[in-house]
Amino acid sequence: MIAELGHIFLISSLVLSLSGGISAFFLKKELPIQKFALLMTLLVTGAFFALIYSFVIDDFSVAYVAQNSNINLPIYYKFAATWGAHEGSLILWILSMNLWLLAFLSFNKSGSINFSNIVFGVCSLVIFSFLLFTIFTSNPFERILPVPPLNGADLNPSLQDFAFTVHPPLLYFGYSGLLLPFAISIAAMLSSVPNRDWASASRPWTLLAGSFLTVGIGLGSWWAYYELGWGGWWFWDPVENAAFIPWLLTVALVHSLIVTENRNLFINWSLLLSIFAFAASLLGTFLVRSGILTSVHAFALDPERGLFLLGIFSFFVLGGLIIFAFKNSTKNQSSDYSINSKEFGLLLNNLLLVVLAVSILFGTLYPLIYEAYTGGKQISVGAPYFEFIIFPFSLMLGLLQGIALYLSWGSTKSFNFLGKLIIESLSIFLLTLILLFVLFEDLIPASFITIFIFAWLISGSIFFNFSFRSLEKYLDFINRRIGVLLSHVGMAILVLGVGVVSSYSNEKELILDPGDKIKFHNKDIEFLGIRDVKGPNYISKAAEIRVIDDNRSFELQTEKRTYFPSGQVTTEAGIETGIFGDFYVSMGDNFNGDSWSFKLQSKPFIRWIWFGALLITLGTFVSSINMVRRLS
Amino acid sequence: MNPIRKQRVYALMAIAGGSILAVFLVVSALSKNLNLFYSPTDLLNNELSPDTLIRAGGMVREGSIKRSNNSLNIEFVVTDFKNDLTINYSGILPDLFSEKAGVVVQGYLEKEGSFRAIEVLAKHDENYMPPEVAKLMENAE
Repeated sequence: MIAELGHIFLISSLVLSLSGGISAFFLKKELPIQKFALLMTLLVTGAFFALIYSFVIDDFSVAYVAQNSNINLPIYYKFAATWGAHEGSLILWILSMNLWLLAFLSFNKSGSINFSNIVFGVCSLVIFSFLLFTIFTSNPFERILPVPPLNGADLNPSLQDFAFTVHPPLLYFGYSGLLLPFAISIAAMLSSVPNRDWASASRPWTLLAGSFLTVGIGLGSWWAYYELGWGGWWFWDPVENAAFIPWLLTVALVHSLIVTENRNLFINWSLLLSIFAFAASLLGTFLVRSGILTSVHAFALDPERGLFLLGIFSFFVLGGLIIFAFKNSTKNQSSDYSINSKEFGLLLNNLLLVVLAVSILFGTLYPLIYEAYTGGKQISVGAPYFEFIIFPFSLMLGLLQGIALYLSWGSTKSFNFLGKLIIESLSIFLLTLILLFVLFEDLIPASFITIFIFAWLISGSIFFNFSFRSLEKYLDFINRRIGVLLSHVGMAILVLGVGVVSSYSNEKELILDPGDKIKFHNKDIEFLGIRDVKGPNYISKAAEIRVIDDNRSFELQTEKRTYFPSGQVTTEAGIETGIFGDFYVSMGDNFNGDSWSFKLQSKPFIRWIWFGALLITLGTFVSSINMVRRLS
Repeated sequence: MNPIRKQRVYALMAIAGGSILAVFLVVSALSKNLNLFYSPTDLLNNELSPDTLIRAGGMVREGSIKRSNNSLNIEFVVTDFKNDLTINYSGILPDLFSEKAGVVVQGYLEKEGSFRAIEVLAKHDENYMPPEVAKLMENAE
């Protein structure tokens, strides 16, 4: 009964979003759009809760519940299973698009009626198309009648995990947040708002979407690291690229909007970028859910769904581009800037980010192009391609970011610039020395570059307005620009983590009998033995490992779990985390008796990657909140 | 030059520079890092150099998995139901590796026609078959 109610909620919001969307486009008067958006949000929330309810009461006559839950699944994961697969995650996606729209309408007090109407109209139509897609190809409320199964299949065991319960909602929130910059750019083109106004209306939401994307991607990486048992944190899998490309474009847009708002420049560029960022998020959805690319992430693969998504993608992206082509030409660009200006720095920033995004997109799509071109030959583009591409771009972006905050609008006074550069060089020198001293016995060029860029970024973020004479002023400045500082420092920390873990990781695979002792990376490792463990919905073999470091000793446990009813086997890694590195042990296969193979890894500085991502999340979040506050 | 023209020149220079760099990087990266996928049948009469990194795959033949007792060496046979290919690998296998399951391996074709894998690719989901292998299965039916 409840499931039918959910279905009805979905259908009513489908009708509402279409009628609301169309009327907002054509009626050029004040409409109760906020109430309308609230109503749509409530209906979708209702549908979402109906689905959660069906999971919690184990209603296996609902096909989606039967496929993704089980009577023995812990209650916490029954909640999370709601968005564990394609259908439910779509509902969550639609819900978050509604929430973004509602938030925009509640906080944005500027702009003409026409402008807000069009933003509402575009969002409603996108929501409508997603609802249509859900109801016709991916209805989560479909029943298995007349004979429902007594028990469900199960939630994929590797998804039964804390990070999984929060990673998808945050990531979807980020993806769907790109709807707002898109709708705002369409509204800017169709109504005659000053560039300054639409750019300042778009900035906080773009930042916020970026914030959610960052934390979503970061959590995904962290989850893959500890849950998949391989110790990797990024695999250049299509599904990861599908999130990374919109992230890069969002970062570019965040920066380009600064110029549009403050200098009335890069107007067409910001408009286009808003369209492309949204397009990238739709393209990602399409690639991942149509099954046309080989990915380690499996969604239910269905060509019909792919075609439908391709339709949505083409309609909105082409629509946006057509409006862009036929809009009134922008009142152009009066301000002058020279090559040592902030404008030019941000131009380079955007160029690098966009070219990087396109190169990654190309590598992701190349297998498809190749297959079509050669008539069915299959190819894969491996991680080395992406690593080869991203390294020079990161280097250039890093060099640029280190001086970016020194630059002024128009042109930068070279005297100030030099003075700051001297302070910066000194601090870089010190930071580099300290890090070298703390970290490494041996130095390879890659790690030297990493440390240099880290120091360059840190000093470039912290000291850019520093002077001893007016410390108070400096602190006040820091306080006002805290968001920028946090995200730029976060980037530095992330870069250091990536650089060090890529150059200094160690691993070893070996077979151990209980009682065996070995040495690994100045640690003494002892395999104590195997215990049988029984969990709520799995049984497992747990290996106890004692590790003796220079000055301490600790025990780790790694498990080989067999989940029922699916019988799927997963590995739970044992990880000793630390600021300067993780020790990671995972169980392999059973040999004679209690002898097992193990994989030992040392992962220096890996935490810094996620800590950096967290700082970027926090920084963009704070900036965004401050901007919203200023606007309303 | 007037300011607007000057800005356009900057922008064009930057864009041209960026595009040239990107094309250069993409082309040189692609020329080195592409791995073609081969089925056991494809590899039967193929004169591949043993230095070419390729992918191969198929279904793991029942009863073909041979483990060593005291090392991580393992040998198994993948099949596309027309021909077989023997794979040698040393290391820990992914959890989802099993008999009669689809598998994709990355590595080198040795002179004697066996395959030395440096990586056995894992997958997330029990129901999920690597698309390359799924296509082989389709063709076999």
